Amino acid sequence: MPLKILVTAKRVEDSESKIRANPAGTGIVLEGLKYKMNPFDEIGVEEALRLVAKHGGEVVVASIGSKDCHEQLRQALAMGATRAIWVNHAGPIDQLGVAGCLMKICEREKPNLAILGKQSIDDDQNQVGQYLAEWLGWSQATFASKEESLDSDAEKSKTPALKLTADGAWVTVVREVDGGLETLECKLPAVVTTDLRLNQPRFSKLPDIMKAKTKPLEELTPAALGVDVTPQLTVTSMKAPPARKAGIKVPDVAALVDKLKNEAKAI
Amino acid sequence: MKNPLLDDRDLDFQLRAVLHADALLTLPAFAHVSAADLDAMLSTWRRFARDVLLPTYRPMDEQPAVLRDGGVVCHPAMKALWPQLVDLGAITASRPLGVGGQQLPLTHVTAGTLYLMAANLSANGFAGLTLGAGHLIEAFGSDALKAELLPPLYEGRWTGTMALTEPQAGSSLADVRTRATPTAQGHFLVSGAKLFISGGDNDFVENVVHLTLARLDGAPAGTRGISLLAIPKKRRAADGSLVANDVKVTGLIHKLGWRGIPSAALAFGEANDCHGYLVGEAHQGLKYMFQMMNEARIMVGANGVATAAVAYQQAVAYAKDRVQGRPPWAKDPAAPPVRLVEHADVRRQLLRQKAIVEGGTALVLRTAHLADLAAHAAEPAQRHDTERLLSVLTPLTKTFPAEKGFESCALAVQVHGGYGYSSEYPVEAWLRDQKLNTLHEGTTGIQGLDLLGRKVVADGGEGWRALARAVEAGCVRAERASVPAEWTRGVREIAGVLEEATLALAGKALEGDVPGMLLHSADYLDAVSTWVVAWLWLEQAAAVHEAPLRTAFHEGKLRAAQYWLATELPRCRQLAALCVAGEDSYAQVPEEGW
Ligand SMILES: Cc1cc2nc3c(=O)[nH]c(=O)nc-3n(C[C@H](O)[C@H](O)[C@H](O)COP(=O)(O)OP(=O)(O)OC[C@H]3O[C@@H](n4cnc5c(N)ncnc54)[C@H](O)[C@@H]3O)c2cc1C
Repeated sequence: MPLKILVTAKRVEDSESKIRANPAGTGIVLEGLKYKMNPFDEIGVEEALRLVAKHGGEVVVASIGSKDCHEQLRQALAMGATRAIWVNHAGPIDQLGVAGCLMKICEREKPNLAILGKQSIDDDQNQVGQYLAEWLGWSQATFASKEESLDSDAEKSKTPALKLTADGAWVTVVREVDGGLETLECKLPAVVTTDLRLNQPRFSKLPDIMKAKTKPLEELTPAALGVDVTPQLTVTSMKAPPARKAGIKVPDVAALVDKLKNEAKAI
Repeated sequence: MKNPLLDDRDLDFQLRAVLHADALLTLPAFAHVSAADLDAMLSTWRRFARDVLLPTYRPMDEQPAVLRDGGVVCHPAMKALWPQLVDLGAITASRPLGVGGQQLPLTHVTAGTLYLMAANLSANGFAGLTLGAGHLIEAFGSDALKAELLPPLYEGRWTGTMALTEPQAGSSLADVRTRATPTAQGHFLVSGAKLFISGGDNDFVENVVHLTLARLDGAPAGTRGISLLAIPKKRRAADGSLVANDVKVTGLIHKLGWRGIPSAALAFGEANDCHGYLVGEAHQGLKYMFQMMNEARIMVGANGVATAAVAYQQAVAYAKDRVQGRPPWAKDPAAPPVRLVEHADVRRQLLRQKAIVEGGTALVLRTAHLADLAAHAAEPAQRHDTERLLSVLTPLTKTFPAEKGFESCALAVQVHGGYGYSSEYPVEAWLRDQKLNTLHEGTTGIQGLDLLGRKVVADGGEGWRALARAVEAGCVRAERASVPAEWTRGVREIAGVLEEATLALAGKALEGDVPGMLLHSADYLDAVSTWVVAWLWLEQAAAVHEAPLRTAFHEGKLRAAQYWLATELPRCRQLAALCVAGEDSYAQVPEEGW
């Protein structure tokens, strides 16, 4: 059975840029920032591509944002996704709005799997996948990881880490949990969110970069999807964490214990 | 922090604000390309360079290739890197669609290549050489030869080399001795020895094609008797299989830098069974090579810039991190020490590197841009004029990043103090790598002779005039943008000084004093390069003034422009005076006086 997989490609600030809170504390300074695809999403795209390489099918990539996010959609298309869905929305949106749009897209596209990043590196919410699965009534497996290391032969041969059962009805997901790995079997359709150790995403081939612009890119809006994306959350302030104070030297272990106990109140 | 290799802001600024390079996309040759394609190409290459290539640089430097059982064993990392470089388009990005390339502007491809070179120049070197070899076959080979050799080279299944140098024929390729004897079957039987052949063999692809300069039997002496042959390590047998072609690696050179790519001594035809295939017509080999030289020399300039850039980035990061000492006027010995970047002399060293790196980048990209226009501009007259300017700039583009880049790398070591001299830090390796760029593809001495003896005086001084016009156009742009008037005046004044010197030197040649004309050709090259880079700094300053917004990056640009115009440009006067006066110290030292 050919697979249909929905993946996401959020445009986020590049962690190599200098990120600073703006003086008013309402957000970050945008000037001079660079952007890229959320690395967790990139891992999701890679996993989906490996799955369809093995089982056949198509990968549909979605992004919500202004036209700027075409750059990330194009990257996913250049990596090998079949087509793109752009939800044109320039204003603020919170995790409920995002999950709402993705739910409507899933209802239209009816994928077997939706693979999302476990979180996006801009505001680190880690909620969209969970909402999406709940609202769709699908099974979910978060923090998908790989049993083998990223230097393993399995990774080098680009074997998917997510395993489908022979009848194609279930997916086996290894997840990262505190202190180890846990293996889940989920009935399809399912939502899977990716962790960093699931795979190493590919670099697009130049001929595929050139071809990306010929792949279909469908434009939608939250309104067309019937989703009200008015944020239910407001950011009241944003500030940098306090600078770390210089360390001190203590003369001996007794002094250390004393300070930990009485000053830091850590023990 | 990871070394960013180059300043992304600078590449973006140079391509967009200074060169308006996306305007190339209006040319029919680039109708299939969008600006988003080029952005995606650049961002993919730079990510690959930072995340994959750079981590392999040190290991490859520390463990050079070895010769084992007659074959070259490269660093194992190359096995994984090579197919990725091929997929990235490192060989074919600029080649035409018709031969499987992507036909992207050389300007943007060069910008992308800077990242690959800065991250690991040896690994990228294999791709550059394969491109060079393929390009020669593409331009001059017969259809049959193209069908046989181009697909495996451009698909990266084979690699290529440039096999020019012989022990007695380095700078003087007219003295090449490798022989090629015709056979009834159409191929030639080749015998001879080549030296220093980069990428001369490897263990990560099945075959290597050597684009070789040789003399056919009975060829005239000198430059007019040299032919170009393609000599594969393994040739195609009648049954289609690949069999050994009597090409032997007789040794590998132990070298200062570029240790990730082997430089081999090769012997052709020791068993009298080395088949070579003539590329193009007989006796045209050097002419073909010269026609390819523009691009090859731009790539050497790009290597120079890239190597200086990565070292500069390392120096900036180090200077912002390490604390040492206090300013000379600080009274309190207990005051906390300052960061290196706060010392005036360290700032001088950093700004000098910045001026060289970004001035060199401007030069390399300008030259690549001219190459795009010379090949694809709509009007034949524009192609012709651009070609003229390109040929004058080429020796500068080859030399400035190499010579000044070496100084820049030395400054990066200097900023690191003693740590820079230790192999704990990578800057010493970039200094070693950089030295090659003044040597290969024509030494600096040869470039000086090319510029003064050939390029500027070509067609009654057309070469010089093309350059002077381009610089004047830059001055006009700077005036319009309200760049400080004294900056523009400085560039114009030196234009006059150098024009006078060029006329005087050409006059010497007309009077039969060619030695007098060429005595200071190195100084002439230095003066013209310094002035041309001053022009390009002026244009960068103009682009800053044209920008709607002024950022810290822009401020840095203006200070680097100011630095070059104030401290370097004035040197041109003294150099020009030496050239014209024919100052003869070294000419007069007697043989026994050394
Ligand atoms: C690491 C490495 C890689 C190389 N890769 C290749 C390769 O892939 N393929 C290839 O074919 N070659 C390659 N070369 C060879 C390189 O191109 C030559 O070394 C170079 O052309 C100089 O020749 P030479 O070494 O014989 O020096 P020489 O020609 O002996 O020059 C020695 C010095 O004399 C000066 N000089 C020579 N002739 C003149 C003149 N007429 N006027 C004024 N000054 C002069 C030169 O400027 C130089 O300073 C490589 C060299 C190295 C070191």
